[in-house]
Amino acid sequence: MSASQKLGSVKRDWRQRDVKVVLSALIIAVATVAIIALFASQLQRTLITSASSFLAADRQLEAEHGKPIPAEWREEARNRGLQTARMVEFSTMLSGGERFQLVSIKAVSDEYPLRGKIEFQQDADSDRQLLGQGPRPGEAWLNPRLVRLLEIDVGDTVEVGNLELTVSGLLVREPDGGFNLGGLAPRVMMHADDVDATGVIQEGSRVEYVNLFAGEEAALDGFYQWLQPRLEPSHEWESIRDGEALSESLQRAERFLLLGGSIAVLLASVAVAVASRQFAVGQRDTVALLKTLGLSSRRIGHMYLVRLSVWGLAGMAGGLLVALPVYGFLNNLMARVLEQEIPFTVDLPSLMPALATAVVSLFAFAYPPIRRLRHVPAMRVLRSQPGEADSRAWSDIAIAVVAIFGLVWLYAREVMLVVALIGGLVALLGTLALLGWLLLLALRRVTGGGNAWRLALVGLYRHRRASLSQIAVFAMTLMLASTLILVRSSLLADWQAQLPEQTPNHFLINIAPSTVDEVDAFWREQGQGLDTLYPMVRGRLTEINGQPVRQVVSKDDSVNALNRELNLTWMESLPEDNRIVAGDWFGSDQTEGVSVEAELAAELGVDVGDVLGFTIGSETIAEPITSIRTVQWESMKPNFYMAFPPGGALEGLPATWITSFYLPEDRKDALNEFTREFPTVSLLEVDHIIERIQAIVGQVTQAIEAILALILAASLVVMAAVVSATLQDRQREGALLRTLGGRQSLLVNSTMLEFGLAGLLAGILGVLAAESAVWALQYRMFGGEFRWHWQVALPIPLISGFVLALLGRWQLRPVLQVSPMLLLRRLE
Amino acid sequence: MTDLSSGPRQTSEAILTVTDLTQRVDLGRDTLTILQGVSLEIKRGESVAIVGRSGSGKTTLLGLLAGLDTPTEGEVVLEGKAISRLSEDERAALRARRVGFVFQSFQLLPALTALENVMLPLELADFPDPQARARELLGRVGLGDRLTHTPRQLSGGEQQRVAIARAFACEPVILFADEPTGNLDNQTGQEIQELLMALNREQGTTLVMVTHDETLAARCQRRLTIEAGHLEAAREETA
Ligand SMILES: Nc1ncnc2c1ncn2[C@@H]1O[C@H](COP(=O)(O)OP(=O)(O)OP(=O)(O)O)[C@@H](O)[C@H]1O
Ligand SMILES: [Mg+2]
Repeated sequence: MSASQKLGSVKRDWRQRDVKVVLSALIIAVATVAIIALFASQLQRTLITSASSFLAADRQLEAEHGKPIPAEWREEARNRGLQTARMVEFSTMLSGGERFQLVSIKAVSDEYPLRGKIEFQQDADSDRQLLGQGPRPGEAWLNPRLVRLLEIDVGDTVEVGNLELTVSGLLVREPDGGFNLGGLAPRVMMHADDVDATGVIQEGSRVEYVNLFAGEEAALDGFYQWLQPRLEPSHEWESIRDGEALSESLQRAERFLLLGGSIAVLLASVAVAVASRQFAVGQRDTVALLKTLGLSSRRIGHMYLVRLSVWGLAGMAGGLLVALPVYGFLNNLMARVLEQEIPFTVDLPSLMPALATAVVSLFAFAYPPIRRLRHVPAMRVLRSQPGEADSRAWSDIAIAVVAIFGLVWLYAREVMLVVALIGGLVALLGTLALLGWLLLLALRRVTGGGNAWRLALVGLYRHRRASLSQIAVFAMTLMLASTLILVRSSLLADWQAQLPEQTPNHFLINIAPSTVDEVDAFWREQGQGLDTLYPMVRGRLTEINGQPVRQVVSKDDSVNALNRELNLTWMESLPEDNRIVAGDWFGSDQTEGVSVEAELAAELGVDVGDVLGFTIGSETIAEPITSIRTVQWESMKPNFYMAFPPGGALEGLPATWITSFYLPEDRKDALNEFTREFPTVSLLEVDHIIERIQAIVGQVTQAIEAILALILAASLVVMAAVVSATLQDRQREGALLRTLGGRQSLLVNSTMLEFGLAGLLAGILGVLAAESAVWALQYRMFGGEFRWHWQVALPIPLISGFVLALLGRWQLRPVLQVSPMLLLRRLE
Repeated sequence: MTDLSSGPRQTSEAILTVTDLTQRVDLGRDTLTILQGVSLEIKRGESVAIVGRSGSGKTTLLGLLAGLDTPTEGEVVLEGKAISRLSEDERAALRARRVGFVFQSFQLLPALTALENVMLPLELADFPDPQARARELLGRVGLGDRLTHTPRQLSGGEQQRVAIARAFACEPVILFADEPTGNLDNQTGQEIQELLMALNREQGTTLVMVTHDETLAARCQRRLTIEAGHLEAAREETA
């Protein structure tokens, strides 16, 4: 066969209905996966950028109690195309007016901040501005409360060490607000070049040098590769994913996007599978004809390979043509919702899954049945023998399913996700097989009649093969969509629970034991009750089971908790949001033992029974681990790695107290009164951080909704594709029923009922399978506890029944509009 | 049910009256006239053959007579009811109870078994015990042992028998057949022909059939010839 002949046959193919269905399915598949993958990767970039403002950069390198970070490192980063900035943080006394005040200084270079903006006010009465640069040399910006505390004005001078600085504005908020229980004094921002002139920093002073980096992810990774061997233990490399408060939310959002993408891959392959299988099975007659025309099996196989390849290519091209404009539109929409500029980037790696999905599912589902037709004698192909079933169909499907899950795994690289989805689908098909069998037993006795219900049930029974496979596809589609819906609702619920209204947004730290009662009384008078008060002792973890920690825990695992002092506490009862995962909480008179936070325990490789040694000032203590518990780091409440029982090992050691409380924006003046009355208590304002987190979580939520909407649209398209696969048979049947005297209303009602019932059944199965998949996913990927989602799950079967009934009505439309005569002519 | 003893009944009462029937289809730019001024009358119990060259409008006429379509002009009165004045559902009800069809291309539903195909009109007409009736009819056309087979598993002749069983299922007063033997070999065509004639006799059904088959046409009591949409007034009585 010459090439032109092959092309000729492809062109002829295009006029065939089955082929059109396959091509449309391919286009839909490529478009859906491409849109979701592109959009998801764009969202991810956007979220990371927006969250990166928390670090004022993409990465931070901190040197605690350290020497300045070598300038060559920044040089190297710049050579790699990264932006850099420099920052020095220290606490010192500042004098202004007639007063002195301990302040926490942040001295920044011109490039600061690399991500996010500084919120600035010219003076107390002017509007807030967003600036991309800190103060110039010789100037300082002060926290507005500090200005009131010192009773000075903008334009006055303040002294830091030997250096006089002009107050040129008010620092309302810095992007990297930080949440560190260490430095708590009011903030002052100045220029990094002025630091030396103050003379405050000497050998051994407590100062933190920070370098900021921003740029392409690949360049950042490359730089870190270069940097890693040069780092010392006091150096800490941080990305936004490591930050406590946001990282969990971001990780979950990323996983959600991944899940969404994987589900898109599965949905797409279902669509292509249905269409190409339908095509392949419909090729029996053609293959028989070709055989009778004397074509060899080899050539027939070859011919189909060429055709499938051509369609594959056409599907890809068509899919991309659809995907790119839609993606552009979504991008615009997102830019408007998030009120920020979002570049139109098409990254090729995001397109790979789309293309691979289309091709793999096309060949996996269409080729094996066609290949098998080659071995069947022409006569048997022309008329199937009584009782002959397509016995090899199951092995075909098994091969194809393995191929598809391979794809998902390649895409997601997350074993648990694949296992959960496979598990859900297997559970689904198993239940369906059982239910189908029961249903057939039940329906066998029903005979049709002029009654729509009976006709619908008879329809289900008589088309049992088609009905069951359609229900299976609907149920799979619904399961995938429901999985996403369920995960979305539990994510959103978790996030809402995490930072509810009136989340404590101020911390009081360093409360001396003697003033605890007075502090408590002060705030009660203000009408703002305090949360639980916790004692806090600062100490280092030095030994595990009598061995120095450094030897036990290898240096490569950079365990953050080892690099700094830990906050140790004692408490009688377990905080509400903590959960014991091993061992038991302290008994009522128990005085020995320590409870360790679960992630740290895992990093250290310790378990209940291991003995931990701590150095606190000059004292050392050692206690066995009696329980391991999880902590909600995102809760913005005081959280502790190590908790001892009251009267335990910490008894008698110098402790201060810590607590948190909620203060609304308009009551902030109370803070000044408080600091004047209790000058030694440190106050940490995290209200702005909480606002930022809430804003970012809001963005993430919108992103999730967008992906969900895309997936739902794709599901609808897949269902419509499945319905249209049997369109012709159904229309022929409708025409014949009308010819035989069926009333239109009977036809409409019975069809809608039949489809509605199928949809309801598929919906119930899909939701059950989704719940089991979510159970598995929740467990491994999204943390959090599994709960039934009745309010979300219940409507799904109803909606699916309704949608399918409408689809059934829709496909019947041509049957009702024209005379039966014309219909029969058309269908002949 | 079936009345095996009585022979063909023919009364002078007209079951179907057609006056000045014209059918045109709109083809966008121009209109095509398929039938032009056809008038005829068919009496109860009569058997009539419609013959004519391919494309002359036979199938179109049959469809109009059976109420499957409405004419552009003219009137079809079936059992005293003017078809074009009925609503689609009223026409459907009339078809369900009074009219049977046999198509050249069988028109069986591929997903349904032979039995289910025959049961279909019985169920639509709310016939008591459709299954027993369908079994009986399939037995009558010689397919008693093929009840559970789907059309794909039946030969063309067997499929046409199923279609005939289906057509006679509701004991129609009038049966329309469009080239019932057109897709079959001579021998099988002959058998189908016998079957149709026998059922016509047994049930006293009026038979209107389009055919190219001279022997079949010859067995009908009357022959109508269509030529390019016009009815030739040729009329032949046969035994
Ligand atoms: N809906 C339609 N649109 C366009 N042309 C039509 C339509 N219906 C019928 N025709 C045309 O009207 C003419 C008569 O058609 P009809 O099917 O009645 O012929 P026929 O006598 O049954 O032919 P045959 O013996 O080949 O079956 C044909 O030329 C056909 O193409
Ligand atoms: Mg015809």
